[in-house]
Formats: sequence, C-alpha cells, structure tokens
Amino acid sequence: MTSPPDLASLNTRGTWPPPEGPRVAIVGSRRPSPYGEAVAEQLAADLARAGVVVVSGLALGCDAAAHRGALVGGGVTVAVMGTGVDIVYPAAHARLAEEILAAGGALVSQFPNGTEPRRRHFPARNLTMAALSDAVVVVEAVQGSGALITAEAALDLHKEVMAVPGSIFSPLSVGTHALIRDGAGLVQNARDILAVLGIGREVLDDPLAAPSRLGLGLQPERDGILFHISDVLAVSAAELARKLDLPIAEVLGRLTSLELDGAVRRHEAGYVRALRRAKDRA
Amino acid sequence: MLATVDSCVLAGLEARRVEVQADSANGEAKFALVGLAATSVKEARERVRSAIKNSNLEFPRRRLTVNLAPAEMRKEGSGLDLPIAVAIALAESGGRAPTRSAFLGELALDGAVRHVDGVLVAARCLRKLGVERAFVPSVDASEAALVAGLEVMPCRSLAEVVAHLRGLAPITPQPFTSIAPDDIVGLVVEHDLGDVHGQEEARRAIEVAAAGGHHVLLSGPPGAGKTMLARCIPGILPPLELDEAFEVAQVRSLLGDLLPGRPLDWSRPFRAPHHGVSMAGLIGGGSGFALPGEISRAHHGVLFLDELAEFQAGVLQALRQPLETGRVTITRSGGSVTYPARFTLVAATNPCPCGWSGDPVRTCRCTPAVIDAYQRRLSGPLLDRIDLQVGVRRVPLAELASEPRGEASAVVKERVLAARSRQLERQGCLNAQIRPSRLRHLATLEPASRRTLERWAEQKGLTARGFHRAWRVARTAADLEGAELIGDRHVLEALGYRLHDVAA
Repeated sequence: MTSPPDLASLNTRGTWPPPEGPRVAIVGSRRPSPYGEAVAEQLAADLARAGVVVVSGLALGCDAAAHRGALVGGGVTVAVMGTGVDIVYPAAHARLAEEILAAGGALVSQFPNGTEPRRRHFPARNLTMAALSDAVVVVEAVQGSGALITAEAALDLHKEVMAVPGSIFSPLSVGTHALIRDGAGLVQNARDILAVLGIGREVLDDPLAAPSRLGLGLQPERDGILFHISDVLAVSAAELARKLDLPIAEVLGRLTSLELDGAVRRHEAGYVRALRRAKDRA
Repeated sequence: MLATVDSCVLAGLEARRVEVQADSANGEAKFALVGLAATSVKEARERVRSAIKNSNLEFPRRRLTVNLAPAEMRKEGSGLDLPIAVAIALAESGGRAPTRSAFLGELALDGAVRHVDGVLVAARCLRKLGVERAFVPSVDASEAALVAGLEVMPCRSLAEVVAHLRGLAPITPQPFTSIAPDDIVGLVVEHDLGDVHGQEEARRAIEVAAAGGHHVLLSGPPGAGKTMLARCIPGILPPLELDEAFEVAQVRSLLGDLLPGRPLDWSRPFRAPHHGVSMAGLIGGGSGFALPGEISRAHHGVLFLDELAEFQAGVLQALRQPLETGRVTITRSGGSVTYPARFTLVAATNPCPCGWSGDPVRTCRCTPAVIDAYQRRLSGPLLDRIDLQVGVRRVPLAELASEPRGEASAVVKERVLAARSRQLERQGCLNAQIRPSRLRHLATLEPASRRTLERWAEQKGLTARGFHRAWRVARTAADLEGAELIGDRHVLEALGYRLHDVAA
C-alpha cells in the first residue's frame, strides 16, 4: 500500500480548506444502475443538508451524482481529481466543476497543473479521497472497482467504511455486499452515516417513507407492465412480453408510452424504472 | 479482302457496340491490332493466331490489320477474341458476316470458345441496338437466351463457328430460356424463424423490416443469435419478381456468377461481407469501368454487416448514398457507371468492445469512455438511416434446450406479403421508400398518434430524417395490421425500435 500524499501540498482551486465539519466521500461505479445513481444523489443531498462536506472524484456515474446531490442540498462539495486541477476530466463535467466552485466548494489534486488523465493516476487519487474524508460510502461497485480501492485505503487509514446494499442479482452490488460481509456499515439512508460520524441531527423523513421518495410509489395499477420493471436490472421488451404473455408489438408500444411519461428509461438494451431525482423534488 | 464483324464491350450495365474490321493486304507478313485496345485485348493477337492455326484454318501470310471501331473508345476484356478471329477468317476466305449478328467470346489456344463475364448484359444491350442473332460461348448461351427476340447461337469452338458461317454445318440455336417461375415452389427456406428461441423483439423487428423495406440494427452480445436472425430474412420475403430476378441476374452475369443452365434465380440474395472488406469490394470498383460490389450483389435482397463498428469508417460512410437512393454511382478511369443497390441492410454490433455490456450474467469490463467511443463510431449519419434498432440478448441455456415456441417463417411471411401488397397497391413502392412530401397523404396519422410522434421528437431531439423514418415504420406497423389510419399504438411501437435516441 502506497502512503497517502502530503495533504498540505495539494493543488487546489476554489475555497480551500473547506468549512469545518465532517467530510464524507461518496464513491461508486462510473456506470451505475439508475438505482445507484439515485442513491448517490439522495445521500449526498441529505448529507449536505446536515452540514457534511461531500467528497468525491468528479468521475462519471456515482461521483457526478454525489456532487450534484450535494449542490442540490445546498452544501459544499470537494472534487478530488486524478488530473491537474486545471484539466477537468471527463471534459463533459466542465460545467459541474464550475458549479462546485460557484457553490463554495473546491477542486483539489495531488498532481501538478497540466497533468493529463493517466490510468495509473486514479488509484493514487482514490487514496487521497480516503485520506481527506472521515468516512467513505460505496454506493455501487463491481468486483475490482476503483471505489473498492478507496474503501481499502480508508480502512488502512482507520476511516469509517460504509456500503449501500443492492439486489443480489446485480453485478454492481457484488463489491458493496462483499464490503458489508467484511464488516462495513450498512447504509439505508443518510442518518445511518450521520450516526457513525456521531452527529444526530434529524435531516430525514421517516426512513420507511424513503422508497416513495425515490419514485417507487408509482401506482402499479396504472400500468401492469411497470410492476415488472426493476430500477436496478434492465429487462428487455422480449422478456416482458414473455412474462406477461402479450404481443411484442403491444409491449413495445406500452414501454414507449411509459418512456414518454418519464416512468421508465432505456438502459443497456432494455428498460429500467426511471427514479425521480433529488433535484426534481421539492 | 476486308471483313467486318459486330461485337460489343461492357461499360457497367451497358454495352457499347464495337465493329471489328479485318483487312488482309499484300505486303510483309505482319499482324497489327489498332483501335485503343487495353492489355487484355492486345493479348488477343496471340490467342487468335494460335486458335486459327489449331482450328485447321489458314492464318493470312500477308499484311493483316485489325481495327476496333470506334477508335477513340477504350476496349477491355477478352470477349473480342471470337469476333477478331471470325473477321480474320472471313477476310482470308472472302466470306461475308451475317447481317444483324454479333459475336462474343474468348478463345483458347486450341480454338475452343471460353466463358466471358456479362453475356446477359451484352445480349440485352445488343438486342436494344438492333442485333437479332448473337454468337456467344456455349456455356453462357442459356443466360443470353433470356433475352426475348434474340436468336442465340451457342459456340463451342472457332471451327464450328466458321463451318456454320460457310454453310457447312449449321449450329442449332439455343432454345429460349424458360422464365416461368415453376421452381419457386421448390425454394428452400434454409433458416426458419421457427427455430429461433426467444428474441421476440428482434423477430418482430425483422418482420417489420421485411414488410416495409426498412433497415435494421441488431445490438447484442456474441452468441445472442444476431446472425441467425439476419439469415431468416430472405425466408420471410416474397420470391423475386421477374424484373427483379433479371436485375439480380445482370449483376451476377457481370461478375461471372450465374449458374450455367439456370441463370434466373428466384431467391433473394443474402450477402454477408467480412468487416475487412475494402471500399471497392463493398461499394464496387476496379480499373477501367467499376465492377459491382457487395451492395449491388445484395440488390433486392439482404446485406448483412456483422460487427458493424469494425468496418472502416470510410467504407461505412460510402453506404449513405446507396441507402438513400437504392443506387450507387462509381467513377473510374473508364467513365462512371451506376449499379442498382436497393438492399435491406441488416447490421449487427456488440454493444461495447468486449460485447457484454447489458448482459444479465457476464460483467462488462469496458470503461464508459471506451463504450462511448465505440458507439460514436456507429452513430451519426449511418445510424440515422437505420429505421429499426433493437437490442438482442442471450437466451438462457435452459430455454435453448426446450422447444422454440415462436412462429415459423411461413406464418410470418403471410403477414409480410399481405402488408407488402397493401403498400404496392397504395403507393407503388415500399414504405421505406416513400418521399417525405408524400408521407402526409400516404401515411395519415390520427391526431393522438401525431401528438405522440411530436412529443417524442421534441424529447429526444429527433432530426427531420429521424422523424420521417419513425413515421414510415409506423406506416408499416399499421400495414401489418391491415389498418389504413396510423393509430397511436403503431407510432408507439415504431418509437420502441429507436434504441439510440437519447434524451436531448
């Protein structure tokens, strides 16, 4: 295990150091399921409301969702980059980076300005993320994912490691379930994280109400098909037609109709339940 | 003495008349061939000299000049061997060539008449030019005899031809090749949809494609059955019409690809070029006049491009013109030629470089950036021209062991045929070929279905082309159901095939 970099010598942009308070890293797959993306955003928003600084890596997928959630929650978020702080990677996140800075957050990097993205830089970045945070929450991670490197580094540095459970059928939850089995804290909502950090502030509704807040409350009777569509694993139109014993043309039509209404969306050659996002809610 | 014999050279699907003049005059023994002959024609001198000698004919021991007129036109191919030899024989013996007759064929050194490519095309054009009798290689006689009003003389050897011309041993004309489609019934469906497990979505997509002449993209992991599905398409299409079979046969004739004795084939072509195919191989090319490529060999049939993302980008870009117009025009040193290329494109691709993105069991190891780059190679103008895009998944092994429950090709074909005849009756072409300006009249949308289509176009930022394409597919969905007005369910189904529309 390489040692974490000297945190005092980080290159930074924006407001550094961040305001006093606990820092939580939210990390996960760059290709999360809609469930994972919604969870990352939700947790980040709730943590931000509780005054926690959300740390993540500005990558695609869970990282971006975490930053966005923190911004929605009106909080400060820190992006730990694997490039120089003057090079936003992926370039598509240029605007997100601007928003992070505008909201009083920071972009930080152990690499000098002008450093281009290199594969070998990212594990080192993950270490820094762990070093900067009081706890690391892994949302979704396949086996061997970079998020697990962050979790391992956090363990070595005696930081809290927590993980979000998912479907046992989903490859994206294999990594998080392994963490939980090995003793990581189970995360069902932001309160679980706050409790570990020793902060008891009430920021959440009744946790039992959480599913409806994620959009799972859409009445199944509105369309019987919706009942068979998961928010984690894509199901193909063909599978639905078989399950429901309906003509494929009709199933395709009803899926399109649901897609137009924003209730489902395409995901990996199939359909998944579209979860309402933190920013869409009041 | 001077003798003149008619022949022709090919320029794509057209033939140009060539007059072969032979003159033997007093002077030093010499054989000159003039008239802008390409290498293959210049070599005719050596073949003709030996062929004449070995046919027990006299080769002039005088000054011999052969002229190929018109002189400014470049001539290529070995088909001029026979007319040159006949002209020389006539010049030597003082005979006259029969009127309104043309000769075509390559000579072997022993005087045998050998096959040449494109006899069907040549015969059709010669007939148009007023020729009534064609002397062609006997192996190619059945294809020439497809042309109505042309008497075809099958030639086996130069000696036979000369004996015929001298009235010594007449050649029996080739009987007109039957074009009665009596062997249609016997067409074998090699790949039956009834053998396909699951894949309801893709099955339906190829049914819609076959019914409306739409192009399809199948996206899925290795072993999901994409190739099998593509191969099923010819079996749910109607057999070729006579004029279609004739067009297909002409392209094959140019490539020397017709079965002797059975030149017309009623089954739909299925071409599956490898992804390493060159531009010339796929689109057409070669020196002089371009020869037809795979897209023209797939005319009226199916062009299957497996591993679409692996094809050279330039080659894929070149598909755009034929996809839009059903024709391809290629310019080479000899001039430009236009070949027909109205095919149904069936493209298959993995969803990502490793192939397993979206697979329920195996995990994809590709990074988002790699997947993005992979899919971008497909996106844009080419994808915009593919009406039906569906995801194909691997069928669970347990299901593969059981009896497939899908409909057989014969059942699907009935619906396809009914839908096609509705279209031809209404507009004289398949739905995929309706021009945008005619869509409003030919593909009337109910108010609700119009709103749905517009809503989608707005949400997904559809291009005008994408909008029209979805509209045409909805027309086909309605035709498969026998509905005149396009209902909401037809539009909704059509939009379900737009895998690559993402929220704007």
